[in-house]
Amino acid sequence: MGKSDTEEVAKDKLRLMKCKFNPLSRCDGSVMYSQGATVVIAAVMGPIEVKTQSLSIECSYLECNYRPKAGLPQVKERIREAAIRDVLELALLSEIYPRSKMSVQIQELEDRGSIDACALNAACLSMLIGGLPLKYSFAAVHCIINEEGEFIVDPELSETVHQQASFTFAFDSVDGNLLLVQTKGSFKIAQFNDIECICRAASADIFAFYRSNIGKYHGRSDDVLSVTSKEATMEM
Amino acid sequence: MSSALNIVMPGERITAVEDVAKGKRIILGPGLRRVNDTVVASKAGPLKHREPNTFWVDNYQRRYVPARGDLIIGIIKAKSGDVYRVDIGSADSASISYLAFEAATKKNRPDLNPGDLLYARVLNASPDIEPELVCVNSNGKRGKLGLLQDGFFFKCSLNLGRLLLRENCPALKALTEKLPYEIAVGVNGRIWVKAHSAAETVGLANAILSLEQAGHSEIDKVCDNLGDVLQA
Repeated sequence: MGKSDTEEVAKDKLRLMKCKFNPLSRCDGSVMYSQGATVVIAAVMGPIEVKTQSLSIECSYLECNYRPKAGLPQVKERIREAAIRDVLELALLSEIYPRSKMSVQIQELEDRGSIDACALNAACLSMLIGGLPLKYSFAAVHCIINEEGEFIVDPELSETVHQQASFTFAFDSVDGNLLLVQTKGSFKIAQFNDIECICRAASADIFAFYRSNIGKYHGRSDDVLSVTSKEATMEM
Repeated sequence: MSSALNIVMPGERITAVEDVAKGKRIILGPGLRRVNDTVVASKAGPLKHREPNTFWVDNYQRRYVPARGDLIIGIIKAKSGDVYRVDIGSADSASISYLAFEAATKKNRPDLNPGDLLYARVLNASPDIEPELVCVNSNGKRGKLGLLQDGFFFKCSLNLGRLLLRENCPALKALTEKLPYEIAVGVNGRIWVKAHSAAETVGLANAILSLEQAGHSEIDKVCDNLGDVLQA
């Protein structure tokens, strides 16, 4: 990569993450989450009453809805919704509340790149704050190969225009196993492996972000705050 | 209760609990589960410990999950056969028998209508069956349970409900100094209050809800200001 040091740092770091818990009052847990200029609201309800047709006596039923910024969900949104649902289903401990439904709603507010990863991270945060039982938390990272063959983690929308390939990975917090892989475009297997390693490293920052924000929400002390400010400067 | 702030995340193995478990039996509360020989968290929040052997995760939660013996506030939804259907904020609606009230017989039924508030105890709760409530203790006396008349009802997080129910709750003590009132707090995150006038009742409700925004460390400060909230 023939780039100066400062630009390289920007390319393999995530954009600044921010979150606000419980902006909505009527659901069981909600979060407004942003990565750079990409903003998403996610809300969860659960366990709640389930329709008899989707009732299961062994585990809870998971419902996931993704709404675009404007208009009705189309095929693109449905695909994203299905991908999110698959990951949530892996993470949720569904056997704890049989005969019930867990409902996750995700509303896109602004898509300025990496919306898939952002929506997944928002869904994870909302499940953490909504008190849903989970096997592990998860973090998703988006990465692209641009026309010069450089890797850019968590790209802006403008950076993705002439991309060669794009990747979205989701990792669990316990073993770091892959929960989701989405790829598009042409790439070599070595590049794929490199990007997986870069994304895995970046997911650690997201897990640290989850922990510090949950800690902060529980009205906790200065040491938690100092951690976040340190992170914030790191992100900058 | 330990005061150390120890945030755990889902999937995290909690070796501190496992160490205690080597010496004696332990009780795992909400948010903790046993996986083979390890103790793993399933919810995100501060890990709490009460001597001698109880551990749980005190996560933020708004949705109530019934547990036997809980005191809750329910809303009557319908009469059906020998039972009333009661909404207690959980996934399933609960049921309460006509005979689960003081001095109730088959002839002498309690006069309850949809919309009435009930302060009741959870008699049995299991994930597989709908919860059942009672309004009497084992001697057939009602105690403090039963219909809540007049007053004002609102919902809050489960954490706030538990905070108010703690022994020597500083918030209720601070409010008691300002005005006389009646309060019923359900662990299902529902609160009923009643003071002499409507204005006082609403002020009281606002004062209690202002605690919702406060973190644990600020509780004392907010309690000092509760009087001001009441005036407003």
